[in-house]
Amino acid sequence: MTTVIHAVIGYFWLLFTVRFLTRRPGAQMTPFEFVLVFLMGGVIILSIVGNDRSETNSVIAVMTVGLLHRLVSALAVRYRGFAAIVEGIPVVLLDRGEWRTDVMRKMKIQETDVMAAGRVKGAKSFDEIRYAILERLGSISIIKQKE
Amino acid sequence: MGGALRGIFGYCFLVLMVRIAGRRPGKQMAPFEFVLIFFMGGVTLTPMVGDDQSLSNALITITAIALTHYAIAWLKQVSPTFARIVDGTPLVLLRKGEWQTETMLRMRLQDDDVMSMARDQGIQSLDEIDYAILERNGEISIIPREESD
Amino acid sequence: MPLQTKPVEDTVPKINNEVAVGEDLDFQRAWWRVERGIWIFFLVLIIADLLGAFGRGWLAKAHATTQDKSLDVSYERIQRYSTPSILRIKIPGSIVHDSKAQLWVSEDLVKSLGNQRVVPHPDRSVLGRNGILYTFPVSTPPMTLQFALQPTSIGTNHISFQSPGFERLDLKIWVMP
Repeated sequence: MTTVIHAVIGYFWLLFTVRFLTRRPGAQMTPFEFVLVFLMGGVIILSIVGNDRSETNSVIAVMTVGLLHRLVSALAVRYRGFAAIVEGIPVVLLDRGEWRTDVMRKMKIQETDVMAAGRVKGAKSFDEIRYAILERLGSISIIKQKE
Repeated sequence: MGGALRGIFGYCFLVLMVRIAGRRPGKQMAPFEFVLIFFMGGVTLTPMVGDDQSLSNALITITAIALTHYAIAWLKQVSPTFARIVDGTPLVLLRKGEWQTETMLRMRLQDDDVMSMARDQGIQSLDEIDYAILERNGEISIIPREESD
Repeated sequence: MPLQTKPVEDTVPKINNEVAVGEDLDFQRAWWRVERGIWIFFLVLIIADLLGAFGRGWLAKAHATTQDKSLDVSYERIQRYSTPSILRIKIPGSIVHDSKAQLWVSEDLVKSLGNQRVVPHPDRSVLGRNGILYTFPVSTPPMTLQFALQPTSIGTNHISFQSPGFERLDLKIWVMP
């Protein structure tokens, strides 16, 4: 029984911790963030497994988390507000020649990050970029100026 | 040895769980999904090791998992039905201006998810999309509307 | 050696005769039904686990006594492989002679259920009769003995307890993998 409770609490705690920890420019996680992920996952595992090494315990824990994940996904689809809390929403960084400075500051993104994303799409300079949008997962989408 | 049996069972169970737990849409795995995957793998390994922390148990368990992985891959080659069950099938989300609402609902996707993928390709709005397809691995492929004048 | 080749044909089914997708909606609909069934099954299993049906919970707790009240055992009837579990036996004054009480336990308690230790420590343990005969010092009855179990045998396990001269108590313990 403690397994299920631990699993539920662990899942939500991890969900929100990762949510607030990582919304970095660029789509990749830094090596340090990988380490953090391993660390946090590992700690939760130890607390759930405890001294119970039976297959039963592990199966129940995995089932619980799987079911939770599914439930959270379903709720995120039904309720946009819930999705905003759990996943975040895309935000505009560059809007037709103007930087959204407050957003850039809050999300700790520099202009060079946006240009790097732009270069991936073949943009040579800022005036080739019409919109730059920070997506939920941290990647920056570039919409180029129409010819 | 317990490790081998648990290894085989654990592997198959994980394949099942990952298949049905579903992915949040996106080109790459979200950090949280990493945590989840690591968690599920980590919890599953604890009974395989159990109290037996010997090297032989570890090697036998790893071998059992690798063999099961190979066996599943071979089965997928041999039986398309099996491959369909394990991997799934691509699904159409948006077809020429019409959302496939049943699929969207069942796969727990919103229009935001499709648009997010589209923006990544530089598309500005939904009407520029010809087809949106949910691939088997959870990615969404966007086929933009041809410029036709 | 010549390369093995095959000309590209339209093997991936198209939709609208335009985009080669290879969608199989019939299969997918069946799969959705199966998925739903699996989730409901999982939910049932989790609820069963919460209730203790798989050990470590309310349903697993059990209590057994002999008719002549010589032994009173509290234990878990469902346990898990290599997971610690405590089995308690209450010893009444009726089986105490000279401040000592004798208790015979069947060998499966050690062999299958992996008994690690007994609290309090017995004065004597004698192997025999497919089990162990313990002699415990008892100053003020009733006293509770604790056996620390860590099961090693999956499935049904039978163990027995008996104080010599009194009734025997047979228990069945199921061990989950």
